[in-house]
Amino acid sequence: MRSPRPSLVLSGIGCLLLLTGCGGGGFAGDSQAQQSEGGQVTVRMLVNISPNLTQAYWDGLVKPFEQANPGIDVEIEAPTGKGVADTLPQQLAAGNAPDVVETLMADETLAKQMLDLSDQPWAKDTPLAEQAKLGGKIYTVGVGVQAQSLVFYNRTAFGKAGIDEPPATWDEFDTAMGKLKSAGYLPLQTGGDFLTGLQLLQLSNPSRAQNHPAWQQDVSSGKIKAGESLLPYLKRYHGWIGKGYVDKNALGLKYADAETAFLSGKSAMYVMGSWFTAAEAKAEKDFEVGVFPAPVDKGQRHPGPQGATLAAPYMILKSSPQKDAALKLVQWLVTDPAAVKSQLKQDGNFRTGVEREFTPLEKQVQEILDAAPSGVPQGEGYGDATLPKGFNSAWNTEVQGLYVGKSPEEVAEGVDRWLAGRS
Amino acid sequence: MAGRTVMTLTREAPVATVREAPPRRRRHDGLTTALMAGPATVLYVVMLVVPVGLAFYLSLTDWDGFSADPAFVGAANYARLLDDPELRRAALVTLLVAAAGTAGLNLLGLGFALLVDGVSRANTFFRIVLFYPHVLSALVVGFLWSAILGTNGAVNNLVTTWGGEVLPFLSDPAWATVTMIAVLVWAGFGVNVVLYLAGLQAVPHSLIEAARIDGATRWQVFRNVTLPALGPSVTINIVLSLVTLLKTYDLVVSLTAGGPAGQTQTVAYLILWNSFHDARLGFGSAQSVILMLVTAALAFVVTRLRRRGEMAVHQ
Repeated sequence: MRSPRPSLVLSGIGCLLLLTGCGGGGFAGDSQAQQSEGGQVTVRMLVNISPNLTQAYWDGLVKPFEQANPGIDVEIEAPTGKGVADTLPQQLAAGNAPDVVETLMADETLAKQMLDLSDQPWAKDTPLAEQAKLGGKIYTVGVGVQAQSLVFYNRTAFGKAGIDEPPATWDEFDTAMGKLKSAGYLPLQTGGDFLTGLQLLQLSNPSRAQNHPAWQQDVSSGKIKAGESLLPYLKRYHGWIGKGYVDKNALGLKYADAETAFLSGKSAMYVMGSWFTAAEAKAEKDFEVGVFPAPVDKGQRHPGPQGATLAAPYMILKSSPQKDAALKLVQWLVTDPAAVKSQLKQDGNFRTGVEREFTPLEKQVQEILDAAPSGVPQGEGYGDATLPKGFNSAWNTEVQGLYVGKSPEEVAEGVDRWLAGRS
Repeated sequence: MAGRTVMTLTREAPVATVREAPPRRRRHDGLTTALMAGPATVLYVVMLVVPVGLAFYLSLTDWDGFSADPAFVGAANYARLLDDPELRRAALVTLLVAAAGTAGLNLLGLGFALLVDGVSRANTFFRIVLFYPHVLSALVVGFLWSAILGTNGAVNNLVTTWGGEVLPFLSDPAWATVTMIAVLVWAGFGVNVVLYLAGLQAVPHSLIEAARIDGATRWQVFRNVTLPALGPSVTINIVLSLVTLLKTYDLVVSLTAGGPAGQTQTVAYLILWNSFHDARLGFGSAQSVILMLVTAALAFVVTRLRRRGEMAVHQ
C-alpha cells in the first residue's frame, strides 16, 4: 500500500483549518450578538410547541411586546429535537444558544448556564419563586401554577355507580373503583408513554407530602429511599391491575389516546394536571366532567398538599448578548396582565389573584388550589428539591413493570437501584 | 532516473510495465491529484473523522451537554457500561431486531424481487407499491402502525367488535418486540427489492437458458444459477440491513417509545435518551463508540464470511 503524498495531506489539513475557521462551533458563551445595522435587537426564545401552544400562538403572544418595544424583535424558535430539553444542549454545543428558554426549570446542571434573576424586584413575586430557588437564587420565573394531583371524573358514571361524594381517602377510592367496575365502566384511565408513572406520582403527592414533607431532599441525602417510601402506592396500584380497575393493556395506548378514551366516556376517572381543562373545554362529549383532589391516607388532612409545578417557566441564558432586551421580554411575559392571562388560558393554568374567564371545570380546579394547604414538588422536583435528571422516566419505566410481571417490591428496588447508580 | 521502468503487481491483473514520468511532470501530477482529492478528503475528515474523534473524546469526559468545561474521567464511562442493566437489555433487543429484521428484509426482498422481475406494466406498478413504505418517514410509519395496532387501534376495535379479546400488539413486551420487527421489515424491504432487482439484471441470461435446456426445474435454476450469481447482492443487502437495524431509533420513538416497561429500547434509543434526556452526553458518547465498533465488526465479519462463500461458489 502506498503512503499518502505529503502535498495531499497538507492540502487536506489546509482546507480543514479553513473550514473550521469558518465554523461557529464552541460551547456556551460563544454566541454571537444579533444586532442589525439599524440598532434593532433580536431576542431568540426557544419554546415548547404543543397542541395548545402552537407556533402561531407564540408569535401572536409576543406581538404586543414588539409593538411596545420597537427596537426589539422576538424570534420564536421551535425545538429541533424531541423537545426543548433535547434541543438546548445541541444549541449550546453548536455555540448557537437562544437568549431565553421556556419550559425547563433550573437544576444543578442548567443553573450554571442561566442568569441569576434574584436581583430583579419583579422576580420575587412570580408564582413558586421561593420553592423554585436553587441555592437561594432565582433562575426560573413562571407565569402560573399547574395543579398536578387532580382526579377528573365522569359525573354520569359516578351517578350510575351510585357514588354521591367523590372519594377522599385511598380506601374510599378503591371502593369507588369497585362500584364503577360493577356499573360497567373502566374505573381508571391510564396509558403508556410517560403517563403510567406520571399518574401514580400525581395521585400519591398529597399523602406522600404529608408522610415526607421534604421527600426530594430526604431522598437526595439518603435519609429515605425513594422506591421504598413509595412502596405502599406501588402495592395499591398493583392491586388495581389485578382487579381490572385499570386496563391490563393500557401500555399500548399513547397519552393522546388515553385522553380521548376518557373524553369519549369509556372510562370513569382520569388522573391528570390542570392543563387537561383546556382539552376538556374543546372536546365534544355527552357527559359532564368533574374534578376532585387526589385521595390521602385515613387520618391525614384532606385535601392534602397539591402537587404543583411552574406553568410556562422562563430562564435567560447567561451567554445571551442581549441580556437587557431578554430581561425586558421575560419580565413582560410573567408580569404583564394581558400576557399572563393569555398564557394561563391557553394552557389551562392558574395564578392566585389573576381573574380570568373560567370554564366550570377550571373554576373547580381553582377552588381545589385555593383549598390546598401548600403546593409541593412532584417526582424529579425543582429548585433545591431536585432528584437526578431522568428520575421521572426511570420511575415510569419501573411502574410499567407492574403490568409485565414485576412485583411492587421489585419495582421499588429498581427505582432505588437507578438512583444509587446516579448518585 | 528518466526512462526507469517500474513494475506494478496486482492480484487480478498481469504484470504491467509503465514508463515513469519525468520529475517535473510527477510533481505536477501530484499537485493535480492533491487538488482533485482535497475537497473529498476534507469532506471525509470533517464529516466522519472529526465527529468520530469528538465522540471518542467526549466519551472520556463527564460532559452533561450544558457545561463548557467537561472533566476528563478516563475510562470511567466504559467501565460503567459493563455494569449497566439497561444497556444489556437494550443490546439484546438490538441484536434480536438486527438478526430477525435482516432475515425478514432479505427473505421478503429477494422473494418479491423474483416475483416482480421482468418488464411489464404490472411489475412496474408493484415495484412502486413495494417501495412506497420506504418513502415514508420512520416517525410517520411508527405513528401510523400504533394507530392501527394500539390497544384502542383499528385492529383491536375490529377484534373487540367481533367479541374477541384485545390483542396486546404494543402492551406486551414479546408482542411489542415482534410488532416492532414486523413494522421495520414492512417499512424497509422495498429497498432490498430494488437492490435484488438490480442484482437479477446482472445474472447472465445465457446461463439460465442453458440450465433450462438441460432440463432444470425452476427451483433448480434458482438454487444453482440465480442464487450463486446473486452472491454480491446478498452480501450488500445483508450488510446494509444489519447496519441500518443496529441503529434503529426513530421507529422506536414513534411506535413503542421504548415501552412497555422499557422492553423495546434499542441501544441507539438509549444513547439518545441518556445523552439528551438524562444530560449524560459523556456516557452516551461511550455507548455510541461501542455501538459503532460493534456495528463495524459485525459488518466486517459478515462481509468476510459472504466473500468466502462467494469465492467457494466460483471455484
